[in-house]
Amino acid sequence: MKLAVISCIHGNYEALNAVLSDIDDRKADQIYCLGDLVGYGPHPNAVVEMIRSLDIPTCQGCWDEDIVEGLNACECSYPSQLAEQRGRVAHEWTNNTIHPEVREYLATLPMTLRLDNLCFVHGSPNSQHEYLLPSMDGFAALERILSTDADVLFCGHTHVPYVRNLEDGTLTVRVQQPGKDELETQFETPLKQIVNAGSVGEPRHGRPNATYVLYDTDTAQVELREVPYDYELTCAAIIAKGLPPIFAWRLARGMEFAERADDPSHVCQR
Amino acid sequence: MDSITLTAIAGPSGSGKTTWMSQFLSNRDRPLFYCCPGMGAASVDLARIAYCFPWVHLLPEEQTPQIFAKLPDRALVYLELGFHLDLTAPLLASLPCHRVAVVPSGLQTSPWHDWADEVIFGNDIATPTPDNLPELWRSPLTGQVFDAPSLDEIAIELTEGAYGQVQRVKGIFELPDGRAFHVDFVKGLPGIEYTELGIPRWLEGRPDRFSGIEVVGWNLEKKTIAQTLLAGCLSDGAIAQYQEQYKSLMKSETNQEESILT
Repeated sequence: MKLAVISCIHGNYEALNAVLSDIDDRKADQIYCLGDLVGYGPHPNAVVEMIRSLDIPTCQGCWDEDIVEGLNACECSYPSQLAEQRGRVAHEWTNNTIHPEVREYLATLPMTLRLDNLCFVHGSPNSQHEYLLPSMDGFAALERILSTDADVLFCGHTHVPYVRNLEDGTLTVRVQQPGKDELETQFETPLKQIVNAGSVGEPRHGRPNATYVLYDTDTAQVELREVPYDYELTCAAIIAKGLPPIFAWRLARGMEFAERADDPSHVCQR
Repeated sequence: MDSITLTAIAGPSGSGKTTWMSQFLSNRDRPLFYCCPGMGAASVDLARIAYCFPWVHLLPEEQTPQIFAKLPDRALVYLELGFHLDLTAPLLASLPCHRVAVVPSGLQTSPWHDWADEVIFGNDIATPTPDNLPELWRSPLTGQVFDAPSLDEIAIELTEGAYGQVQRVKGIFELPDGRAFHVDFVKGLPGIEYTELGIPRWLEGRPDRFSGIEVVGWNLEKKTIAQTLLAGCLSDGAIAQYQEQYKSLMKSETNQEESILT
């Protein structure tokens, strides 16, 4: 079965349409979405309506959670004071723009989705706000996958697509408790894989093109897709709807907008 | 005034006038003077010279003629003329000085060539045509302390054209650890240069010393630039918190060094 995994659409309807067309051309059997349907972009309601109309299984992203729960992330959300101010502007705009039924839908989204030996999350199995960066410590990355009991973990949130293989090996766990003998357990772990789908609507790879992933469940083959689209339409809509013009400037350069993804050792405290 | 050496330096923005002149300011054998006509007291170059070469006397431009008459023997005076100044203006034309033009090597003819006694090849940058000269926007930032990652973002956006076509950015910025940096960008040269200024760390409230920014370019969105700069500035509370952290960090480092020595 051929899966298409999309993530981080961020209210960019033009990009979503282009990716859905590409998925159609590639004849994928099923689409999974890793969340962040809203935030920063000009068309949050249209994006959610499209995802719902296609009945795409979707997990909750950090922006979706923020719209439901309010802003309460830990320091990992923003790399700078400037970015935080911009993020708050985007949050307020989105919060005031989305329809009540969209907010209700976002509240129903699960944190994780499963399909056989595959697990789908937005950030990490721990939190929608935690970044699984390619440079993250190998043991920590392995721990995240093992906690899901899956072999392949699909995530987004960093806005830069990648595939990381964690080779099979032996893990030794020692448990020491006061007054008790040390307990040592060894177990084998097969090859595990993290696949980051990048971002449909707010790329951070230096080009404006949308990215997503195709995965063949029979061959375990991963294909990172990069899809050009008319990003100028989205840029024009950003300005027309009163969002800060700098969002359009950054979108056109594949510079993302504001969020942090630069500390592989940080564990989100939210 | 016979023993006084007066050198005027002119050239396009970013050609390397200040860099060329700075090589002579380390030699303290003779009394050194510097003037940057047309820039007032709030000039980044003026402040940078004062911070890097504190023995250089800065000449206030409004009193230049009177001060020239009272200069000490063997004084070396450097006049840095901004790209926007008319070299044929009577004051500049009448000065008994050695005229140096710092220009890109690719520039064969220009008003600077016509004016100069000596031509020095500086940075190889594109030179605007006389009918499309850029505008200069500047703002004092004295007392402002920047969140460092925000400053970095602002510098990238500014120099990559988010707020107009920028040819040159130079500024002096204060950071919460008390250090001040000179930031320099010239279109056509690689990267944005950050140079720490060798001045004492300011760790007691808002710095009471000059900092500021100058931007040269076309169609500059001045209001947005100003708003973005302010968005990257720290509040009183944040400044105080950072300063306490750095003071405590520096104190513990000093204590460690002392315990090693004893």
